[in-house]
Amino acid sequence: MATTEFSSINTLQSNGKYAVEVHNAYIYYGTFRAVNNVSLKIERQRITAFIGPSGCGKSTVLRAINRMNDLIPGSRFEGKILFHGKNIYDPDVDPVEVRRRIGMVFQKPNPFPKSIYENIMFGPRINGWRGTKQQADELVERALRGAAIWDEVKDKLHQPGTALSGGQQQRLCIARALAVQPEVILMDEPCSSLDPISTLKIEELMFELRQNYTIVIVTHNMQQAARVSDYTAFFLMNESRAGELIEYGPTTQIFQNPQDERTENYISGRFG
Amino acid sequence: MSAQSLDQRDRPTGYLPEGADINRNIAVRRLRGAIWHAIFVSSLIIGLLALATLIYTIVNDTFGYIAVQTKVDPEELTGGRPLEELSKEELIEILRANVSAGLFRRFDRDEPFSERSRESVLQLVEERVVGREVVAVYKLTESLLERERIEATVRERFPRAKLEFHSWLNRDFLTRPMSSVPILAGVGNAILGSLWVIAITMLLAIPIGILGGVYLEEYASDTWYYRLIETNINNLAGVPSIIYGILGLAVFVRAFESFTSGAMFGVTDSNGRTILSAGLTMALLVLPLMIINAREAIRAVPQSIRQASYGLGATKWQTVWHHVLPNALPGILTGTILSVSRAMGETAPLIVIGASTFIVFFPDSVFDKFTVIPIQIYNWTSQPGAQFRSIAAAAIIVLLVTLLALNATAILLRNRLRRSY
Repeated sequence: MATTEFSSINTLQSNGKYAVEVHNAYIYYGTFRAVNNVSLKIERQRITAFIGPSGCGKSTVLRAINRMNDLIPGSRFEGKILFHGKNIYDPDVDPVEVRRRIGMVFQKPNPFPKSIYENIMFGPRINGWRGTKQQADELVERALRGAAIWDEVKDKLHQPGTALSGGQQQRLCIARALAVQPEVILMDEPCSSLDPISTLKIEELMFELRQNYTIVIVTHNMQQAARVSDYTAFFLMNESRAGELIEYGPTTQIFQNPQDERTENYISGRFG
Repeated sequence: MSAQSLDQRDRPTGYLPEGADINRNIAVRRLRGAIWHAIFVSSLIIGLLALATLIYTIVNDTFGYIAVQTKVDPEELTGGRPLEELSKEELIEILRANVSAGLFRRFDRDEPFSERSRESVLQLVEERVVGREVVAVYKLTESLLERERIEATVRERFPRAKLEFHSWLNRDFLTRPMSSVPILAGVGNAILGSLWVIAITMLLAIPIGILGGVYLEEYASDTWYYRLIETNINNLAGVPSIIYGILGLAVFVRAFESFTSGAMFGVTDSNGRTILSAGLTMALLVLPLMIINAREAIRAVPQSIRQASYGLGATKWQTVWHHVLPNALPGILTGTILSVSRAMGETAPLIVIGASTFIVFFPDSVFDKFTVIPIQIYNWTSQPGAQFRSIAAAAIIVLLVTLLALNATAILLRNRLRRSY
């Protein structure tokens, strides 16, 4: 039997149908419980949307999936998040590896103040990429094509990424995330600072990406959730202001036939 | 008026100006604004006046007529040729003929004539034989406005003296060492001393300041002992510089004397009052500034850049190295140069640790005694006589121009390196 070395996350080990499983997650900021007992399974190569009013913990859950919350002093996670059958909060798992495998796109486009080319190559380089100049060019082109921005920037690869428009910057950030070949891409309100046309482009892009990646998106925009997602999770805060998962299921079901009265109220715009 | 107060009583929500009252109310508000505007402008004018006075005083002392008198007419010595054109040998002959044999032997003992440069011999001739002596000094304004009066006074009081327009700030002043004769004195070795001290200060303060700032900002957690360290650093930045001088005296000059005097490295002719001690003391002085400034610059790097980096799987060190430091660099550089200017201008701590006020040689190692420009200014301003006042003013110009150049560099660097997010 050939010996194969694995990192702490054995990517041959599969959760089956699910890319990520959240089990009984409790998340604290200091003594404040921000998320209360959330469990959900995120299906592979589907788009899952987290919706809910402000402060309901949807972003917190999203950021827990690639351990971005670790960067916030005083934050604490209880529960399990399984990725390839491994709890990413196990002490032998390095958050750096989790973030390399589970990429993230942020609310506000945040390209580095470097050239477009360097923006793309930063991820591979810091993760130990080795290759020739041609291979680097190829990698940059693929990432930019993957994020549907190649045609717009191919002639200005060495100009600063910060000079692009907001929508282009956000697609550059998606391309940058793609360049390290993650399996899951987390998007934290990726369109909230964009105009409708840029938003449409990002949504079209998400459909494309769905063929190869698992996408989790947090959005305030319910139409967006209804348009792009396969599954929708509705969050709401309870009396002690901790976020809870109210209802989770196929998007059509959540929007057309919600089981919970609070979901129905929110969907129909009665609050939130 | 009564109608209005009636209104006020009647309305449960108070009275908001209406009709003509709106214009009256706006006029009052505008007037109040105009008064404040005038106050702001006048404070600016006071500042400008103070600055103008400073510059006027310095420039007034630096340039102006001087009346120069010589013991011997140089043309008599040489038979009509200017001294500057003579060869070294001819100059030596003039010296031998005009000073006592004992003095001539002493010059030779100090430094053999065969090894002296022509300039050095020329200087001896000028000092000892020609004996150029400044007998009267006039300021710039009187030189320009009352020329006739000055000429008359000089003719009457110093019939042999020649009146010439003199800039106390000249090339010789910048290159010559200290001298007890004001017109022969220069800030050459003080400039060199300042450069040596600054070099040592920066060699220590820049790396320690930046690294300390990175640690406190990026690595240290928010615990009570780090908060204590932080508070201490902030307070140290406000400690009077003379306290640092006393610290430097106790620690570097005395306790570590074998190190700072170079005895440890085989230097025997020195005590602890060296360039090294001064540089170390200055490093301590600017270190809190450097750390605070580095932290400010690091904190100004947007959190979103850090998150983007972490989100791609960068480690903390990679994030700091590739993003935080490059983006904080303009700010760090600016602060560094401001610290340099602070260190350049400091006098008190160096007086305490024992900078020499009178040395005529140029320092050539860190274990040498030294003087710096502000110390020279301090020294000259405390001497009696108009000539010392004039060279002090010239030295102030040298110091101010240096500081101005440093600050201009800081601004240029910041503008060049600044990035947009």
